[in-house]
Amino acid sequence: MAGMKTASGDYIDSSWELRVFVGEEDPEAESVTLRVTGESHIGGVLLKIVEEINRKQDWSDHAIWWEQKRQWLLQTHWTLDKYGILADARLFFGPQHRPVILRLPNRRALRLHASFSNPRTVILSLPQLFSGIRHPEELSLLRKKKKKEKEPEEEVYDLTQVVLAGGVAPVLFRGMPAHFSDSAQTEACYHMLSRPQPPPDPLLLQHLPRPSSLVDKTQLHSRWLDSSRCLMQQGVKAGDMLWLRFKYYSFFDLDPKTDPVRLTQLYEQARWDLLLEEIDCTEEEMMVFAALQVPGGPGRLGVAGVRASIPLTPLLPQDSLTAIPELKDHLRIFRDGSPAGELTLKGYRQYWVLFKETTLSYYKSQDEAPGDPIQQLNLKGCEVVPDVNVSGQKFCIKLLVPSPEGMSELYLRCQDEQQYARWMAGCRLASKGRTMADSSYASEVQAILAFLSLQRTGGGGSGNHPQGPDASAEGLNPYGLVAPRFQRKFKAKQLTPRILEAHQNVAQLSLTEAQLRFIQAWQSLPDFGISYFMVRFKGSRKDEILGIANNRLIRIDLAVGDVVKTWRFSNMRQWNVNWDIRQVAIEFDEHINVAFSCVSASCRIVHEYIGGYIFLSTRERARGEELDEDLFLQLTGGHEAF
Amino acid sequence: MGESSDDIDQMFSTLLGEMDLLTQSLGVDTLPPPDPKPPRAEFNYSVGFKDLNESLNALEDQDLDALMADLVADISEAEQRTIQAQKESSQNQHHSASTEASNFSGAASLGYGANVTATSVSQYVDDLPPPPADPVLDLPLPPPPPPPEPLSQVTGGATSRASLTGSKLSFPWSGLQLVVKVHMDDNSTKSLMVDERQLARDVLDNLFEKTHCDCNVDWCLYEIYPELQIERFFEDHENVVEVLSDWTRDTENKVLFLEKEEKYAVFKNPQNFYLNNKGKKEGKETNEKMNAKNKESLLEESFCGTSVIVPELEGALYLKEDGKKSWKRRYFLLRASGIYYVPKGKTKTSRDLACFIQFENVNIYYGIQCKMKYKAPTDYCFVLKHPQIQKESQYIKYLCCDDARTLNQWVMGIRIAKYGKTLYDNYQRAMARAGLASRWTSLGTVNAVTPAQPCTGLKTGATQPNGQIPQAVHAASAVLEEAQRQAETAKEKRPAPGNHREPAAPRAHPAPRASLPPPPPVRRSSDTGGSPAPPDDFLPPPPPPPLGDAELPPPPPPELADSPPDFVPPPPPPPVLAGDPGSALPPPPPPPPSLRPECAGPSPTVAKRPPMPPKRHDNPGLPAGGGSGEQDFMSDLMKALQKKRGNMS
Repeated sequence: MAGMKTASGDYIDSSWELRVFVGEEDPEAESVTLRVTGESHIGGVLLKIVEEINRKQDWSDHAIWWEQKRQWLLQTHWTLDKYGILADARLFFGPQHRPVILRLPNRRALRLHASFSNPRTVILSLPQLFSGIRHPEELSLLRKKKKKEKEPEEEVYDLTQVVLAGGVAPVLFRGMPAHFSDSAQTEACYHMLSRPQPPPDPLLLQHLPRPSSLVDKTQLHSRWLDSSRCLMQQGVKAGDMLWLRFKYYSFFDLDPKTDPVRLTQLYEQARWDLLLEEIDCTEEEMMVFAALQVPGGPGRLGVAGVRASIPLTPLLPQDSLTAIPELKDHLRIFRDGSPAGELTLKGYRQYWVLFKETTLSYYKSQDEAPGDPIQQLNLKGCEVVPDVNVSGQKFCIKLLVPSPEGMSELYLRCQDEQQYARWMAGCRLASKGRTMADSSYASEVQAILAFLSLQRTGGGGSGNHPQGPDASAEGLNPYGLVAPRFQRKFKAKQLTPRILEAHQNVAQLSLTEAQLRFIQAWQSLPDFGISYFMVRFKGSRKDEILGIANNRLIRIDLAVGDVVKTWRFSNMRQWNVNWDIRQVAIEFDEHINVAFSCVSASCRIVHEYIGGYIFLSTRERARGEELDEDLFLQLTGGHEAF
Repeated sequence: MGESSDDIDQMFSTLLGEMDLLTQSLGVDTLPPPDPKPPRAEFNYSVGFKDLNESLNALEDQDLDALMADLVADISEAEQRTIQAQKESSQNQHHSASTEASNFSGAASLGYGANVTATSVSQYVDDLPPPPADPVLDLPLPPPPPPPEPLSQVTGGATSRASLTGSKLSFPWSGLQLVVKVHMDDNSTKSLMVDERQLARDVLDNLFEKTHCDCNVDWCLYEIYPELQIERFFEDHENVVEVLSDWTRDTENKVLFLEKEEKYAVFKNPQNFYLNNKGKKEGKETNEKMNAKNKESLLEESFCGTSVIVPELEGALYLKEDGKKSWKRRYFLLRASGIYYVPKGKTKTSRDLACFIQFENVNIYYGIQCKMKYKAPTDYCFVLKHPQIQKESQYIKYLCCDDARTLNQWVMGIRIAKYGKTLYDNYQRAMARAGLASRWTSLGTVNAVTPAQPCTGLKTGATQPNGQIPQAVHAASAVLEEAQRQAETAKEKRPAPGNHREPAAPRAHPAPRASLPPPPPVRRSSDTGGSPAPPDDFLPPPPPPPLGDAELPPPPPPELADSPPDFVPPPPPPPVLAGDPGSALPPPPPPPPSLRPECAGPSPTVAKRPPMPPKRHDNPGLPAGGGSGEQDFMSDLMKALQKKRGNMS
């Protein structure tokens, strides 16, 4: 082979010296020098390098990276000539898999080995790794933001040691994939992946950057990595942090049973989108989102926080099980209009109140009870609004009772939590046409008490300022559940009742149901799933915003934010990218042509977005888990891909 | 027999309910819950009486006693006959089938009726599987019935109409039941038993059976509040009894059965709701064409994802100010979570929006003639209120749109936001139902269509039975025509409304009614919209009765009671009957003969029937209003009896 010499030491073949650095692009790294010829095969070169290094090690993952061409030399049967490598090539002999830190949608970091040589394996290996992110094609990687401020040190879950069994679907062990059950750390990691995180610290929330305009929202989308090129080619270094996010807002076949990790991560991404105001919502919607995050409800009550032994007996008739349970007690009642003072009892009068089946009757006194009540209200179909201030010891139930003539308002004021919880639960059931005999009554009472106890420890009371991490660890801080602009708008004690009100409708949901509901509500927002880019339309003199959603392109006025025009993918004939002038041209039915150049992001990203959505829309037809990766690359890849 | 006595008990109490209805002829009456646990072993009349006494205070004692006596006697007789009938029936199945429609004149004529029904029912049971649609398939296509016949019968004064195949009343059920008087679009009424488990879909199916209409997806139950001048569709998944229980005792509210294209407009032309690009507004009906495939994918996209997409809808609407007759123009936006408006001086970004209303506790209604009643800027109003509110109240929200298209978009948008995917599921069920119906329709179509044509021509333009929302209807109809439906069906449907009215006329004839308390005049809110044309006038004079008026039983069937007195003018609608079925209803050839015989009532023996074409399904068209309710009921009853017998033997 290469390197034949004469006795005088001159080389007599056409061999030349090739210098190869060992390691990951470190110029200081040790290097080996080989004699090669143009006919040398890459495989042979690799062998020589290893011999030269002469160290016992598993080299199987190593390959040669050609720095100038930003290319891996992976075809071992190719010759140096075929690759066009000459003596001046800077080659690095390094591992193809290197550790990176992946920041998940839930903002937790995970260290793992990622392939730096294969463009898609990072994403496509996720299902196996996490065992439960189906449809990884919806995910993609983002470059880390340029560092402006230092973010707090995060705990990094380490998955680099995990050994995956090849090929087969991961085996479940103790409710999690077997490879997670190896150690306590990996187990914790799985829980992190599959369970929602506690509400963030409100202070942190305030300090995190939030987009203040459409233009800000375009920033995120300039950072997507190219899915047809490997990490190495895109300048990612070992140990870098990459963000993993759901890129395409087209979630196929979302099934809580089969992929808890996917659902949880999607929920987390939705939550952070809302908390960081990446997507706008109204006040009412925010309260629902907040309520759905509350760790309450029978399914969501953790071990802590609930006093299991709530005495329920007094409210159930002891004599017989068949009797219809009823509540009777002295309560203060206020009718018509709202009570004047927040905490005063002004306007309230005490009555003897009887609550049976779905009907509430009240009497002047207990003695008159057998007679005609002062008023009798059937609570079926009524609105029940909690009006509670735990620290102020105010436990009111506001009832809006419909009648043929309209609605009548009634405030019931209870003395303490226990009484409140029982009556409240009764009212809620009655409003749905159910009685206290309903099996859900007890759990309803529990849920109410649990929620109250969260408030007691949380920000329900004095705090007008978001509390620090210490306080929020204990109970519920409502500021951790809403976007910062609501922190400014409401005091905590105003916010809590609002969340409480919304919470009553979702208190019975299990954890996954709540997550799913959250995702659905997020998807129902008008601005959901739109990725923004700043572009310049052909023939226009100003920059505009292009929104890309899963079914359409939207032209948006940059200054006002109004939608100017919408084109649907279903009407799209073809699209072309002119890589030289960085222009995307799209043709729709009826000879509508649109062309624009991309300003805020490379036109590759726009191109990949469009192609990606088109690809995802083909999934419906070819039901199946198998993905047509080639088609994906064809649709999303640039000219390099071919 | 021990077993069957249960059924009989049940039926008996139901019968009593019918009587109650007749007597009171109120729109909706709550029946006393039929004895919840009828004695198992015995045929216990006392149960019936007890219920009756408790519940029917309104009934006069004398009448009651008399009726009861009849009933008791008749029922046992009926039982006997049923058995016989069963035997007979096996021999001449087809014929009898056609005649099954028995005219139940009500309690008085019950004895006669019972006989008739018994026979007819038995046949059904034999021939026909419970699903009403199926039976038709079995039957050979009937030759178009001789038009003259029907006429003759009508003239005779018999008002009965073909009754339908088994209804869905489930006898074992002992919970709350209502007798609901449903106003048909021909101004007739039908009384139905609705139990508290039944959804609007079930009731519609029931009505399909009773009317033999074409079963297309536009048929809906429709509630109108004359006092508030509002109205809306029942959604198919709504529990009918629950809705009706919100009505007050003395309510004027009504339930209608009619076709509304708005009901599922979004599924027929989703592009009109989802692709409502700006700039198209000014065009009147920019009825964008879209091919079926695109529609389907648009629907799938909107309704089959993880969450339903609510159409983007925003614009200036007028809002009626609380308690005043003034209207304020505001900019409203529809979101999945509710309706929002832009407060003064704010932008329409999400964070500035103020919530106007959320949908959880309100239903959406069309407002009728708000221009006149509330000085609304236009008549295109929709109303949001809690279903229990029945009187004017500040809690009722009135909104007013600039035009019909906008109105329809808002109403549909709100329904999508409120009901979500359920709406789509309802539609698919309705489509499935319609598909079933159209299958056998097409069989009969050939015959039917031709005869029908003339009738349709006459009626169509002039009278719009669904007058409720004239404006809306017109707009919608223009828009919605093409698409989904097959051309033929569409054709047939349209004319239908016009035709339907006519049948009403026949009822009026029977003078005997007088004795019965006059039923409340059937009037629709529609009156507001269009001129309620007297249907009778159009009708050609009834052809001479070929078969034999002689046969007709002298006693006019009590059912007539239902027929609104208004129509009393001597209606020679018979021709209509013949024509109607064909034109209006998919199953074209009206088997008028079958009807007739029943009218004859008592005498209708098997022998007579054979001549008639076995077309009972055709009749559906003839919504002869009044009587049908009772008949169905009786036939159900008999059918059940029959079954029991069958099992036992």
